[in-house]
Amino acid sequence: MTQTRNLLGIRHLEPCDIETLVDLGREMKTRVLAGSNTLPDLSGNVVGMLFFENSTRTRVSFEQAAHYLKMKTASFAATGSSMSKGETLKDTILTLRYERLNGLVMRHKMSGTPVLAAKYFGGPVLNAGDGEHEHPTQALADALTVMERLGTLSGLRVAIVGDVLHSRVARSNAWLFSKMGSEVRFVGPRTLLPNHTAKLPGAIYYDLAAGIEEADVVICLRLQKERMEGAFISSVGEYAKLYQINRATLAYASKDCMVMHPGPINRGIELDDMAADGERSVITSQVENGVFVRMAGLYWAFGGEPFSKRSKAPKKAEVKSKGKVKE
Amino acid sequence: MKALLKNGRILDPSQDLDMVGNLVIEDDQVVAYGPDLKVKDVDEVYDCTGLWIAPGLVDPHVHFCEPGKEHKETISTGTQAAAAGGFTTVCMMPNTEPPLDNPALVDFILDRAASPEAGGVFVAPVGALTRGLLGREIADYAALKRAGIVAASDEGFPTQDSNVMLKAMEFCVQLDLPVLAHCEDTSLSVGGSINDGAISAMLGLKGIPRSAEEISVARNCILAAETGCRLHIMRVSTWGAVELVRQFKSLGAPITCEVTPQHFILTDEAVGEFDATCKMLPPLRTQVDIDIVVQALQDGTIDCIASDHSPHASHEVQAPFEEAPFGMVGLESVVGLTLTHLTNQGLLTPLQTIDKLSTAPATILRLDAGTLRLGETPVAQVTVIDPSLEWTFDVNKTFSKSKNTPFHGAKLRGKSVLTFCGSEIYRDAMFDNKRYRTVL
Repeated sequence: MTQTRNLLGIRHLEPCDIETLVDLGREMKTRVLAGSNTLPDLSGNVVGMLFFENSTRTRVSFEQAAHYLKMKTASFAATGSSMSKGETLKDTILTLRYERLNGLVMRHKMSGTPVLAAKYFGGPVLNAGDGEHEHPTQALADALTVMERLGTLSGLRVAIVGDVLHSRVARSNAWLFSKMGSEVRFVGPRTLLPNHTAKLPGAIYYDLAAGIEEADVVICLRLQKERMEGAFISSVGEYAKLYQINRATLAYASKDCMVMHPGPINRGIELDDMAADGERSVITSQVENGVFVRMAGLYWAFGGEPFSKRSKAPKKAEVKSKGKVKE
Repeated sequence: MKALLKNGRILDPSQDLDMVGNLVIEDDQVVAYGPDLKVKDVDEVYDCTGLWIAPGLVDPHVHFCEPGKEHKETISTGTQAAAAGGFTTVCMMPNTEPPLDNPALVDFILDRAASPEAGGVFVAPVGALTRGLLGREIADYAALKRAGIVAASDEGFPTQDSNVMLKAMEFCVQLDLPVLAHCEDTSLSVGGSINDGAISAMLGLKGIPRSAEEISVARNCILAAETGCRLHIMRVSTWGAVELVRQFKSLGAPITCEVTPQHFILTDEAVGEFDATCKMLPPLRTQVDIDIVVQALQDGTIDCIASDHSPHASHEVQAPFEEAPFGMVGLESVVGLTLTHLTNQGLLTPLQTIDKLSTAPATILRLDAGTLRLGETPVAQVTVIDPSLEWTFDVNKTFSKSKNTPFHGAKLRGKSVLTFCGSEIYRDAMFDNKRYRTVL
């Protein structure tokens, strides 16, 4: 029986797991772009796409990843599921388990929900973003993108700028880059940074210039306009004036600094056009790499091994029944 | 019927009594106790050697969910749990559905508590502070008091309007009713599910800051000092709240407060990977708070220990953390947790322990309980505790309908083994049968 795994967050991963996932993502990309027919074949597995919160890019990215791996997908949305009739999440998960779905990809507005799903599903569960907790595949996509350009994740200075308090992307990226040997900085207004950071791997900066000084990577976070009424910032304009990444502010960063954004972008607020579309921007690469690391995530969660450990190109992964789950 | 509790350590804080001796219960009353007591014609003998004989325990803060949420707990199952936990009087909170804001509901509660299927303990109802617990209009305290409430509380729906709280306190002063306050500024706590701290930041959960509790404690203390209302603050959890209580007490304000075992044992780290059994209100805080809370129990700033018994059905707890309800069942674990974590650690003396669990809450709520003095309780209220009994708390073997607790499987030392409310109402399976005999 093949051992399956959950991908619930970056915090619990060992650096070797992160390395494996990024390497797998790179290999998937190579093979897809080459039009190779040597991609892992996970046909026979059905993965449930449980998106209880609106999502376009992540859902499509996972579906595309599953498609490349020849997996079938079963899509659910909260409004169309039994949960809209009052069914509990636990019962929904148990139903899907006994309908013999082989794995779940889950997006939920509440932190920790994929942990709960994993407890009752008993097979591979991949977190596609939970509340303000983690978004591991986004962080893996960012890591692959950085690796492609800089060749390493170690020894970098990574500044995560904006609404860290509400960002799952910020947490996953902070864990990932710090585990891989980077220096992580959280940059933003006091109201949008956590008050207590003893358990988070990053230093706090309220001043943009100081925060991104000599940064190799600047990850901009989306300013969630819907939160503007919560007294988090005085105005969008004021925020842009203080924290926008643009030609002038990028001067504080390293001259080769990469500009990243998990999207969707509020142009003119977090980034100006020059930063979003300029040569330092790798935003489209992040999107593209998202597909490949999600292929890696699915393959890994379903028990796949690093390609280097295999004597030849991977064929059919032997994952039809649920094995022991590694948290 | 005459029962002899023989050779136990009799602990009665109401008389500062700590001695080894015998206690006699005859016709549902405590009729005598003392060392070298000669007793004739007894029907039952309980050998209490090495055990504590104490006034029946009093819990100032329980939720029995009837009417309205009987799937979680009923008065019958709740009182059975209370008896098993060593309690002979429990104060039932008013946030039922509908809330306890009219005399007919108080009658209903008292009838249920007196019914044969109930556990045999006294239920002291606490009335709603405002009609419907909506925080707008004060309730009919006089009618509620005539029906039998012992206090008024906004439990579960903390009154935000200071003017409403002021008026409630003024009326309660006139009627000599204490106000039991749920201290929470909901504008600060809204959406929160865990202590605002390093763990909430790590897990991406909205935190409830300590200021949400402390601002409300401060306001209520100020109003109590102004009105002279007896204010009992429920579930203090932060060192700041303890300091506020200490300051106002030193000024002579009529303020008391309680703490729960979960708040003097667990920190927010217990939440681990989103364990909803550790979701409490106020939230579990930090080790600094625990240290100050324990000191405050020792020096008397914190007057008593409450279970805040809050039953929830399993499907409600097995939900996403932010959706799960707050609280845990506690009646059957309070004694074990308190003795294990405080008394047997030398942090409270046996007499202090019984005071926190019996005499002090009875005094605060002016209940006919919490003492062994002859004739001062309507019937004998006596709890026998084995302070050194080692056992494992198994929530599946409890009387409560709900099983939500983070302490399932906890290794404990100390247990209530016999409960008398009038006659014997509960004898624990771990009370050695050889210790009991009938005299023919």
